[in-house]
Amino acid sequence: VRVIVRVCACDCVRVIVCVPSLCEDLLSSVDQPLKIARDKVVGKDYLLCDYNRDGDSYRCSTEYRDLYFEGGVSSVYLWDLDHGFAGVILIKKAGDGSKKIKGCWDSIHVVEVQVRAGAPLPVQTGINNVNCFYLPNLGNMDMENKIRSTLNEIYFGKTKDIVNGLRSIESLPDNQKYRQLQRELSQVLTQRQIYID
Amino acid sequence: MIFQLSTAVQLQHKKEVRIAANFIIHAPPGEFNEVFNDVRLLLNSDNLLREGAAQAFAQYNMDQFTPAKLDGSEDQVLITEHGDLGHGRFFDPRKKQSFKFDHLRKEASEPQSHEGEVALRPWRDACDEALRAYVKDHYPTGVCTVYGKTIDGQQTIIACIEGHQFQPKNFWNGRCRSEWKFTISQPTAQVVGVLKIQVHYYEDGNVQLVSHKDVQESLIISNEVQTAKEFVKIIENAENEYQTAITENYQTMSDTTFKALRRQLPVTRTKIDWNKILSYKIGKEMQNA
Repeated sequence: VRVIVRVCACDCVRVIVCVPSLCEDLLSSVDQPLKIARDKVVGKDYLLCDYNRDGDSYRCSTEYRDLYFEGGVSSVYLWDLDHGFAGVILIKKAGDGSKKIKGCWDSIHVVEVQVRAGAPLPVQTGINNVNCFYLPNLGNMDMENKIRSTLNEIYFGKTKDIVNGLRSIESLPDNQKYRQLQRELSQVLTQRQIYID
Repeated sequence: MIFQLSTAVQLQHKKEVRIAANFIIHAPPGEFNEVFNDVRLLLNSDNLLREGAAQAFAQYNMDQFTPAKLDGSEDQVLITEHGDLGHGRFFDPRKKQSFKFDHLRKEASEPQSHEGEVALRPWRDACDEALRAYVKDHYPTGVCTVYGKTIDGQQTIIACIEGHQFQPKNFWNGRCRSEWKFTISQPTAQVVGVLKIQVHYYEDGNVQLVSHKDVQESLIISNEVQTAKEFVKIIENAENEYQTAITENYQTMSDTTFKALRRQLPVTRTKIDWNKILSYKIGKEMQNA
């Protein structure tokens, strides 16, 4: 997995070298592995992505902890829209390398909250961060769990099935060998028919 | 009037061809045409691509152990570096033939008689026969090719196995390859093997499994038939072990590593109650106020 992730970042650069005009489109539509940078002032890590790219510089933001990751790095960037706000929630968790398997999980969640005109505003009760009000709705969006289950069952399960379809540990049952023989025979017969014609 | 490209443009072309070749060489099994067509669009010059990346097309087929078939034969031979005779021609040691291979169309033509190394033929033939039976027994779509060659003065047997399934309509392709070598110069030989698997599944997503394993075992050299039998036994055991390990790894990955990256449930074993978090936070801030 590590090799594929590294290759993806290099591939983007290679395409841009060939067709420089694709640069902006590529960088904003292809998700790159999240990079970690350090805010030396606060002494905390934060994550870089296209949304806080701002030309070629990045902006730092406050962190957001999640019980699902038992560690890792997360960053949230919010920006105003005409009727509401949008944000990106980034999470990066690297495996600890134990059991000789390495991995990395990158999450990029993009949310848009639309506040309908005339809707009652959340009551301010001395809290500075009004966006807390929206937290339960955002948190209950279970996309990540669904994707994680899909990855586990369908994607990994499917590739395992494909491997076992390429080669069989047990001797192939005789009917499969028979089918192979059938295929070879029908090929020969087809060729014979062509000659006759 | 002579028109000469400036050095800068020539350098840029060289860089682009190198990049195009690199993309092509790394095309997943069964997706050469798609990558080739995409790369054509990027480069926007068919001449540049054909001239500069011709080596990449050949390299791809040799790396992938692409099977080739001559008209009039149901038997297939693998395109590999060991059978490369130069000038686009390849050796089929089972049929004692050479043929021209079109790397883009993947077509074989112009067969000619080609002897190969006569001294090694009994060993080669014995190994080929034993290996064919093994491949038929374990690979639903497998092909094998065995060479007998003297390399650096050592008489060497090289066995190549390939099996693939391409199902682009179902958004997946897969291929396994293995290459096994031993020399017959000493009473005990070192069998060296490399096993490779690559699977690409891209239905509403993009997942690749790319795996390889190196193997080394000892083999006692007796007569041709007995040695071939032991050789294939080593191959069978190693490839079974490898396939078992991959299947077990999937389970381990699911149980441990994947969970270490992202749990299905929090440590508390219940989903987060977001409304509770909100009220804790409000409570905390009210305390601090």
